[in-house]
Amino acid sequence: MDLLEPTRQAFALLFGGDPELWQIIWLSLWVSVAAIALVAAPSIALGFLLAKKRFPGQRAAVVLVQALLSFPTVVIGLVIYLLLSRRGPLGSFDLLFTPWAIMVGYMVIAFPILVVFTIAAVQGADPRVYETARCLGAGRFAASLTTLREVRFGILAAVVNGFGRAISEVGCAIMVGGNIAGLTRNIPTAIALETTKGDFAQGIALGFVLMVVALGVNVLLALLQGQGGLR
Amino acid sequence: MSAPLLALRGVRKVFGTRVLFEIDRLSVDEGGAYVLVGPNGSGKTSLMRILAGLDREAGGGMDFRGAPAAFTSYPERLRRSIVYVHQHPYLFHTSLRHNLEYGLRCRGVPAAERARRVDEAIAWAGLEPRRATPPAKLSGGEKQRAALARARALEPELLLLDEPTSNLDRDGRAQTLALLAQLRDERRTVIVACHDQEIIGLAGFTRLRLDDGRIALQSG
Repeated sequence: MDLLEPTRQAFALLFGGDPELWQIIWLSLWVSVAAIALVAAPSIALGFLLAKKRFPGQRAAVVLVQALLSFPTVVIGLVIYLLLSRRGPLGSFDLLFTPWAIMVGYMVIAFPILVVFTIAAVQGADPRVYETARCLGAGRFAASLTTLREVRFGILAAVVNGFGRAISEVGCAIMVGGNIAGLTRNIPTAIALETTKGDFAQGIALGFVLMVVALGVNVLLALLQGQGGLR
Repeated sequence: MSAPLLALRGVRKVFGTRVLFEIDRLSVDEGGAYVLVGPNGSGKTSLMRILAGLDREAGGGMDFRGAPAAFTSYPERLRRSIVYVHQHPYLFHTSLRHNLEYGLRCRGVPAAERARRVDEAIAWAGLEPRRATPPAKLSGGEKQRAALARARALEPELLLLDEPTSNLDRDGRAQTLALLAQLRDERRTVIVACHDQEIIGLAGFTRLRLDDGRIALQSG
C-alpha cells in the first residue's frame, strides 16, 4: 500500500484548515480536558484518603478501584448507555449521544487512573513531610495539602495519564456518543470510522494530532519536573 | 520557685510486651537548655516524638504551663508551642524562603512581619549566600541549619532537636554547635537528644540521662 500519498493528503487536511477535521480535534480536546478537570479533584482527594487513612473496608476499596483500571471501556460504555438511555434512571437528562455523555464516560475511565496514581504518589511520600508540617503548626487539612504539593509531580503524572487515556479512548465514546458527524465524532472514533472506509488521510492526520498531544503533555510534565529540582 | 514550663507525669512507652521507658516525673524549666543522652534504643527519639505529639499511643501526660494534657489526645494548641526538628530534617521542595515562612503562615503572622522574620532567620543560620538555592540542593549542614532557623523563627516555647549533628561533616557540626550555643544564650527552652560529645559538653546544658527505662538528671 502506498503510504506517501495518504500522508501527504493528511498534512494537506491539517494545515489546510479542514473545518470538519478541526471540529473533531476541538471536540476531543475540550471533552477530555473538561472530564479531567471535573474528576481530578475528587479522585485525588479519594486517593489521598485511601493512602493515608485506616478504616474498615479501606483495603477492599483500594482493590475495587484497582479492578476498575482493567475494566474494558466498552463495558463502562454499556453501563453508562443503560443509565443514560431513555428508559434508564438518568434518561430524563437526555444526555445520550451528546458530548456530555462522552465526558461522563471519560470521567469514569479516568477516575481509577487518578485514584491509583494518587495512592502510589502519597504512599511514596516521605512520612516526614506530613510530620514536619504538623510540627510547624499546620492543621490536619493544611498538612495534607502540603503532602499533596510535595508529591505534585506524581499527581501531575496521574492527571496526564488520565487525560491520555480519555483522549485516546474509542469503545465508550462510540457507545455513548454514537460517532455522529459534527456532534460527537472525536479523534479516536473518527480514526476507527475512516480507516474502515479506507480513507486513511483523515485517520493519519488525526493520529498525528493524538501523538503530538501525547508528546506535548509529557514534555510539559518533564519540564515541570525539571523546574522542581527533583531530578 | 516558679512553676516549670513542662512537667511529665507517668510517661510510658511500650513496644509489644517490652516497656521502653517509664518516667514518673520530669520537669523542664523555662529558658533551660537540656541534652537528652542515653544508649541507642533507650527511647530518646520516642520521648521527643511523644512530647511533640507525633506518637499518640504513649501513656501518661504532661502539664504545660500548668495546663494538663494527655498524650493520647494531644492538644492542637501545643503544636504552636512545641516544635520538633527531625534527626534528618525535611525541607519542602519549594524555596528556602517558603520553608522558613511555612510555620509563620500557619500562625497567621502578617506578611511584613513574616518577611522580617524570614530575613532574620536566613541571616541567623548564615544562609545568605544560599538564599536562592533550591532546598534539595543544600548540603546536609545547610539543611540542618535551615531547619533550626525555621523552627527558631516560630519562637516556640519549647524546641526539641533530635540528633542535630548526626551525619554532618566537621564544618557542618561546628556551625550547628555554634547555633545551639546561641539558642542557649538566647535563653530558649531547648531539649537536644544526642550522642555528640561536643554538644553534651557544651556549657550551660543540663544533662538528662535516659537509660534502662528511667530518666535522671545527671551532673556534668
